[in-house]
Amino acid sequence: MNDMRLIERAVNMDDIKISARKVQVYYGDNHAIKDVNVDIQDKTVTAFIGPSGCGKSTFLRCLNRMNDTIDICRVEGDIHLDGEDINDKRVDPVQLRAKVGMVFQKPNPFPKSIYDNVAYGPKIHGMASNKAELDEIVENALRRAALWEEAKDRLDTPGTGLSGGQQQRLCIARAVATEPEVLLMDEPCSALDPIATSQVEELIDELRTDYSVVIVTHSMQQAARVSQKTAFFHLGHLVEYGETGKIFTNPEDERTESYITGRIG
Amino acid sequence: MNQEHISSAFDRDLEAIQALMVKMGGLVEAAILDGAKAVTTRDIELAEKVRKGDAAIDELEERINEETARTIALRAPVSSDLRVVLSVLKLAASLERIGDYARNLAKRTEVLADQRPISGPDKALKRMSKEVQRMLKDTLDAYVRRDVELAEDVRQRDEEVDEMYNALFREFLTFMMEDPRNITACMHLHFIAKNVERMGDLVTNMAEQVVYVVTGEMPDDTRPKSDETAFISGET
Repeated sequence: MNDMRLIERAVNMDDIKISARKVQVYYGDNHAIKDVNVDIQDKTVTAFIGPSGCGKSTFLRCLNRMNDTIDICRVEGDIHLDGEDINDKRVDPVQLRAKVGMVFQKPNPFPKSIYDNVAYGPKIHGMASNKAELDEIVENALRRAALWEEAKDRLDTPGTGLSGGQQQRLCIARAVATEPEVLLMDEPCSALDPIATSQVEELIDELRTDYSVVIVTHSMQQAARVSQKTAFFHLGHLVEYGETGKIFTNPEDERTESYITGRIG
Repeated sequence: MNQEHISSAFDRDLEAIQALMVKMGGLVEAAILDGAKAVTTRDIELAEKVRKGDAAIDELEERINEETARTIALRAPVSSDLRVVLSVLKLAASLERIGDYARNLAKRTEVLADQRPISGPDKALKRMSKEVQRMLKDTLDAYVRRDVELAEDVRQRDEEVDEMYNALFREFLTFMMEDPRNITACMHLHFIAKNVERMGDLVTNMAEQVVYVVTGEMPDDTRPKSDETAFISGET
């Protein structure tokens, strides 16, 4: 496969961050995820695509145990983060979520100031011993989220007063403030205009140098633009998982082909 | 992929650009046959028709360029759809080149009509042109039917065209050595033979595009090649 951006897109196949084996998810009697095996690489953007209800968000939520909060939801199988079983009884989900951060579809800043939104996580995880350290963490996080220039003069104004795109970047700043190793993004751009979308995509590309990013998106073009690896889900199955350039030029599976070319919904 | 898109307008766009390309192919097939016929029968009227007909071929290529650019911009095709769009663009470019060679055949008819007749090579030239036209027809059929086997067959057949060209090359050398007054006609006839041989190469490239459209990969370069004229000297 001759990928013109081969060098930029080259990924180290050995560096596996998350390894999932035979994952099943049930909502009551509904078998939502069927036997999914996947290795997610470090310092790579992995896109999950697929029609609504295919299980991509459900699977994403398994990766930081967000499904624990749903009573009728049952997860089976092994998910290892750096070789450790995240569903082990000894793993504290709160600690896990500090390592595996998440950004949601709709920007959901806390009804607090911009500063407090970002400082919240580092505070509860005791990452700063004094105000100066906390200031630095907040500034760094806002810079990483490309929001510092716009927000530095209004840090004590409510986060909810920002525009939609800024709010989403604030949520990303909040997620990166706890220095996660993996960042999960569930349709982070679906509520944003094209400019804000480009900014978030640019940010995702930068975050890739330090984190493993997993993004669920309905926009095939977005998956093609930002990711190095793409996974296609359909009816709870992981149908195809591979290099993004390959998936979008010559996928192996006919269902993938049908979906990305707009033939099945 | 024979399933239809959810967006039927996308299907119509893809069908439209492919139809334009196939139509262009039909015109080019006719240009090859007419060009060869004009040359071998020294028919100046037919030659004029071929020269004028090339404008229609060029126009179609322009339209294909515009329509494919539009489809890429508006539909952002991926995978097999992208291959269709890219292949139409490349096939149209090859067809345009073949059309130019056919026009060149026609152009040389006038000069040849004034030269002393060399009748021997005419039959071979006609046969060679006919074979290239058949290869083109099969390539277009293979494209429409997404028939990789037929496309592979076309690729293999280019060797025969190369062999016909080699034989003609030797024949022209002989004629020229026999009598220097044959040189002008033979030079023109040689260019004609070379142009037909080049048409065959372009058709072969087109057949490779058909394989690419269907499989997503260009075929391996195992095609036999037989143009030996670079190693033939007049002394043999």
